[in-house]
Amino acid sequence: MSRSLKQVAVLLVALLCLDPHSRVSSAPICTHGPSGCHVPSLADLFDRVIQHSARMHSVSNDLHSEFEQYFLPSKNHIGKIYRKCHTSNILTPNGKENAQKLAREELTEVILKLLMAWRDPLFQLHQSMADQQDFNSFSSNKALEMGDMAHELRKGVEKVAEKMRVLGMLGNSVTGLSAAEAMLPLSESGEAMSDYELLYCFRRDSNKVQNYLKILKCRIVPEHDC
Amino acid sequence: MRNSGAVLILSFIAKLISQAAGVSAPGKPRLTSCRSPEKETFTCWWEPGDDGGLPTTYALYYHLENSETIYECPDYRTAGDNSCFFNKNDTSLWVNYNITVVATNALGKNISDPVEVDVAYIVQPNTPENVTAVVVDEDQGPFVRVSWEKPRTADTRSGWITLQYQLRVKQKKDKEWEEYDAGMQKYYNVFSLHPDKEFMVQVRCKPDHGFWSEWTQTTYVKMPDYIPRERSLWIMITIFSVFIVLILTWTLNVKRNSVKLCLLPPVPGPKIKGFDKQLLKSGKSEEVFNSLVIQGFPPTIDYDDLLVEYLEVYDNEEQELVLDSKDLSEDCMKSKSPSDCDSGRGSCDSRTLLLEKCMVGREGSRSDQHQYSQHGETSWASTESSECQGLEPGSPEFSDGRVKTWPVVFSSPQPHHHYQVEAVKPVYHSVPEILNHSSPHAMPANYQNLQHQDIPQQEGRFGKPACRHSQSYTHGLDTPAPGVSPSRSLEYVEVQRINPENMLLLRPLSDQNREPEGSDYAGEDYSKVKELTSNNILLLQRDTSYQCADGYSQAGQCTTQQPPHPCKPVIYQSHSGMPQEGMRVMGNGYVDTTVLMPSY
Repeated sequence: MSRSLKQVAVLLVALLCLDPHSRVSSAPICTHGPSGCHVPSLADLFDRVIQHSARMHSVSNDLHSEFEQYFLPSKNHIGKIYRKCHTSNILTPNGKENAQKLAREELTEVILKLLMAWRDPLFQLHQSMADQQDFNSFSSNKALEMGDMAHELRKGVEKVAEKMRVLGMLGNSVTGLSAAEAMLPLSESGEAMSDYELLYCFRRDSNKVQNYLKILKCRIVPEHDC
Repeated sequence: MRNSGAVLILSFIAKLISQAAGVSAPGKPRLTSCRSPEKETFTCWWEPGDDGGLPTTYALYYHLENSETIYECPDYRTAGDNSCFFNKNDTSLWVNYNITVVATNALGKNISDPVEVDVAYIVQPNTPENVTAVVVDEDQGPFVRVSWEKPRTADTRSGWITLQYQLRVKQKKDKEWEEYDAGMQKYYNVFSLHPDKEFMVQVRCKPDHGFWSEWTQTTYVKMPDYIPRERSLWIMITIFSVFIVLILTWTLNVKRNSVKLCLLPPVPGPKIKGFDKQLLKSGKSEEVFNSLVIQGFPPTIDYDDLLVEYLEVYDNEEQELVLDSKDLSEDCMKSKSPSDCDSGRGSCDSRTLLLEKCMVGREGSRSDQHQYSQHGETSWASTESSECQGLEPGSPEFSDGRVKTWPVVFSSPQPHHHYQVEAVKPVYHSVPEILNHSSPHAMPANYQNLQHQDIPQQEGRFGKPACRHSQSYTHGLDTPAPGVSPSRSLEYVEVQRINPENMLLLRPLSDQNREPEGSDYAGEDYSKVKELTSNNILLLQRDTSYQCADGYSQAGQCTTQQPPHPCKPVIYQSHSGMPQEGMRVMGNGYVDTTVLMPSY
């Protein structure tokens, strides 16, 4: 009896190994275009991305106000010395006209640059917040969440750009961001920025991203909400 | 040197003069707020301080973050007094402005506290425009559709600014507004407004990160008069009630047995002990009822046996029976019947313990004492019947022909109907009844006490029953039992005296004249003591020798009456626990007492 079982087992193994088609691999779901599944349109993609950025900004806003409330008593920042944000090197339009003057590609690139520039600093921020005893776990989780969101947002914007490129809306001048773009959050003096400064800067930059994305969307797909 | 000194002195004097004149340098101005309506321009307002009495000028200076270049406000007028308007060219977003205001007058200047402003976060849009509210009539009822437009300055088309709207509604008389969030749309339908009422509507807006705008001017809308057809409500009620009915029906069905039990309770069958339903069903009633018959019921008692011997009442001319009332103190008998003391019955003081009482107070009232013995039977009966009705319980009445009842005597509650029916010879109880509850020592000796004790108890019985009691026999609680053998020698005793301990001391009357026994009723009759019960009750044996129809043979079965010697009641005084000895002391079994008759 055991012998027959053994033979059956051996046969099964052989079949599994030998059969080339039995290898498990992932197959794309929507291989056959619109008939297969629902492919999100550019407008949908934009909506998702904008929603994502709005969420990210609100989280950063919360963290910043929380930080300000509990750790910095004076609201007027009298005597406060602002160090430059590390992203100040990136040229960003500081007004509506300036933003509208930029081409779509440039605008997209700015967005991507910004998001890229915050990848590592956000990770650092989370680390330092988790290390410090002052922050409760809720705040450090928020920082982690922020970092994840920034990462996902970047990926989303890249997809949008890809889509636009496919659709011919974007020229090929949008280059992939090199690793050199990822900057370390060092101020001019070379010192690392404090948590508060990081938060302050990120809050501002997430607001920029949101605004730029909205402008981009209403320029490219102005159907609704514009 | 001299010049500086002169300057100093001059300035000092000028200051003094200015202070005297009430003028001074300006007070510190204060920046109240900065607002941007569309995220492209912004305005800052300040509050001037004290101007010091002199014309003061204000100047606003600012510099951007991380830049030392100070700029002055480009436009002081557009936004009104004490304001500074930054146009598009001068407005940079996502940059901190460090703004200060300087007040200057002839005597000096004053600088306000700096304020940091980032234009992206001070956006407060203008109010929405063209708010319209119209009533839309539909099948389900009319509602109000409120629509508006975005504020003109806000550029939502390019996506630069995103606004969300809010509206509120209330009636004129209401205190609280009803708020609704409209999101980013520019219309809203308001339902469930009361018919035939006027409503006020207001709208406002807000950018995603910014401040709410002001409310618009009120827009009025009047709801038409309509009757709401709440069809849906009725449908729901119907369904609900049907549901409940179904549940009730099902519950009833499940519990139908208990419901039946509740509504139609089963008729209980007969539950008679010994009653066999089966027999009844079989139809033989005789058998059924035979089982119900209990042998020996009703108890057949020879009532004749229960008749206590009548104690013959001594009949006298005067047939007054003076019975003691409860209030012995008052009554010590004013019986008018003469006492017959010649007949050898002994001193009339032996009548009763009443006597004793009387003796205490009234020696002379002997004659008045209770002369129960003097009653003729018929007179007794008649008297009793006539007088008893009128007798008040416990009231010491005495007069001719009145009957007073012996309270103690009447403690036996058993009415003796025989007595009245047969009108037999009345029996007096001269000796107080000695019940179980009387104290062991007290027997007759405590007649007084007993009387007093029992009087309150028996008060209630002083009416007719009491009268009956007068004829009733005191009874020992024990059933009469065959008593003392008649074999003892007979001897009469006489109450000699009552000693202070309430003990009757008897002395035999062997030396006295003796009445021929049983010669007549009027003679002395003695009864033999049959038995002494536990509580010092002497059971008198029926004297079979006198008129015993049945002969001697059966003690206790004769119905002869033995009227006690009225004058010689012998109250057997029992020492505790030694009744037999007492009897022996007496020497014979005869006790002249009336009281101790067997009870039935």
